[in-house]
Amino acid sequence: MSVLKINKLTKKFGKLTAVDQLNLTIEEGQVYGILGPNGSGKTTTLGMILEVVAPTSGGFEWFGGIGNVEARQKIGSILETPCFYSYLTAVQNLRIVAHIKKCGTENIDPILRQVNLYERRNDKFKTYSLGMKQRLSLAAALLSDPPVLMLDEPTNGLDPEGIAEVRQLIRDIAAKGKTIIMASHLLDEVQKVCTDFCILRKGIKLHEGSVNDILGETNAVEIAADDQKDLQTVLKGFAGLEKAESRNGRLMAYLKEGSTSNDLNQYCFDEGITLKKLIPQSKSLEQEFLKILKEND
Amino acid sequence: MIRAFTLEWLKLKHYRVFWILFGLYLLAQLIITNGGVFLLEWLKSQEADFNGIDPTILPIYDFPDIWQNSVWLASFVKVLISFIVIVSVNNELTYNTLRQNIIDGISKREFLISKFSIILFLALVCTLVLFVSGLITGFIYSHVTDLKYVFDELEYLAGYFLQLVAFSMFAFCVALIIKKAGFAIVLVFLYSMVFEPIITSVLEFADFARGYTDHLVKFFPVYSMEKLTGKVYETPFARYFFQEIKDNIFWYEWLIAIGWIVLFALFITYVLNKKDLKA
Repeated sequence: MSVLKINKLTKKFGKLTAVDQLNLTIEEGQVYGILGPNGSGKTTTLGMILEVVAPTSGGFEWFGGIGNVEARQKIGSILETPCFYSYLTAVQNLRIVAHIKKCGTENIDPILRQVNLYERRNDKFKTYSLGMKQRLSLAAALLSDPPVLMLDEPTNGLDPEGIAEVRQLIRDIAAKGKTIIMASHLLDEVQKVCTDFCILRKGIKLHEGSVNDILGETNAVEIAADDQKDLQTVLKGFAGLEKAESRNGRLMAYLKEGSTSNDLNQYCFDEGITLKKLIPQSKSLEQEFLKILKEND
Repeated sequence: MIRAFTLEWLKLKHYRVFWILFGLYLLAQLIITNGGVFLLEWLKSQEADFNGIDPTILPIYDFPDIWQNSVWLASFVKVLISFIVIVSVNNELTYNTLRQNIIDGISKREFLISKFSIILFLALVCTLVLFVSGLITGFIYSHVTDLKYVFDELEYLAGYFLQLVAFSMFAFCVALIIKKAGFAIVLVFLYSMVFEPIITSVLEFADFARGYTDHLVKFFPVYSMEKLTGKVYETPFARYFFQEIKDNIFWYEWLIAIGWIVLFALFITYVLNKKDLKA
């Protein structure tokens, strides 16, 4: 059963089309990244499927077509800014969330311990630092142990430690078989945690696919030996070489199809050079992303 | 309804501003409805007399007149109840918690119902407090305490209740379209105490308007709400000076006020559905 099916969803703000005829299907267990530069319609899309932004046309369907309100109760959401009642404490705020999500309040204490807010649970929300506020939204999202987690720029504004924590958390949750939908403009983030992704630009979906398909190895290998010059000369005799390039002091060997880094290593060794570095270059989402953007220009 | 009320209750239970505002309202209502005792006692102590009549003799707290007298007076402070509604609705917009609530899993309808349920609750508490304080004052000062009279003319209390509900819904609408709480409060205050009374007075009493527009005024929102407790110039105290007073609420006055509540609810639904709640 697909978790979410979006059908020709469109949102216009006056003349500007923020989201244009978007079709998406997200399956159970996927960690789905919606990738795009700022202003590409990511947050508007999330807003529409959560019914806080009214679509101009098109529709969507949660969990094979249950009611939207019921569906939202099964989704833990963390949006850019944490929204809570500033005059209430963490516990009082989470009680409201539990009431809305129709889940028990017995999870509140353990979850506050988990996000490291237990000591401050009876302090008012307005006294919290940004990091604490974000951890409280995490607690709110996880409170009902939802099958789907939705994140909008989850690491925005966090310090490096916080970023690492959130990413680990996403992986942990995904490992439990839950579905995660996240919007991000950080390619690196999507590459690190997502299984599938799509690219949005100006509200139009440019690409959709699995992260593994698009990544994988390139034909470039970075090599180094004690004597770089010698290596460069010897390299020219390698039959499987397409070309060699020296960039910023790093020597890149581009291999012809059919030859591998093993062959290259063997060749160098036979020629009397011991390589101290042999790194096959994998594709990065960044390169692919830029390629896709260019193709669609 | 219970689920919606609980949601709102969880939000307000620990909110000090709410309790202060509500406490102030009840206090203001108590003072204005029962403070006449002190005024009369004071007049007496100043040896004032009305053509030889001892002021405390005035039967303003006699059953059942006390009900009409009290609601007419209480109507003067009704604008305070709108502050509570405005603050509560405004919080949801400025803290973006309306958006968060919807994302977490309520519908916009449920949001409306939760606010409406707290409005009903507040109006009910105010009316009950008015009723109980009226009973106490009445049993102390009334010259008649026959139960038949005590529980007569209670429809004025129902009128007061309906007035509070309608006025709160009016404040709800204003708070929803005007983001700044202070400005919304000023607007509700000005509209209900200045603008509309001036317009309706002109339409009702100006010479040129007579026979043309004086029937229209009863459809104005604040006018129709005030009709339920008596307009300012329809003071029930006039009876003590042997003048005729308006002594019942007409069926169409109930209907127009209820009609406004329905219209306000429809308007709120429309605005909520159209509004994009952005972070």
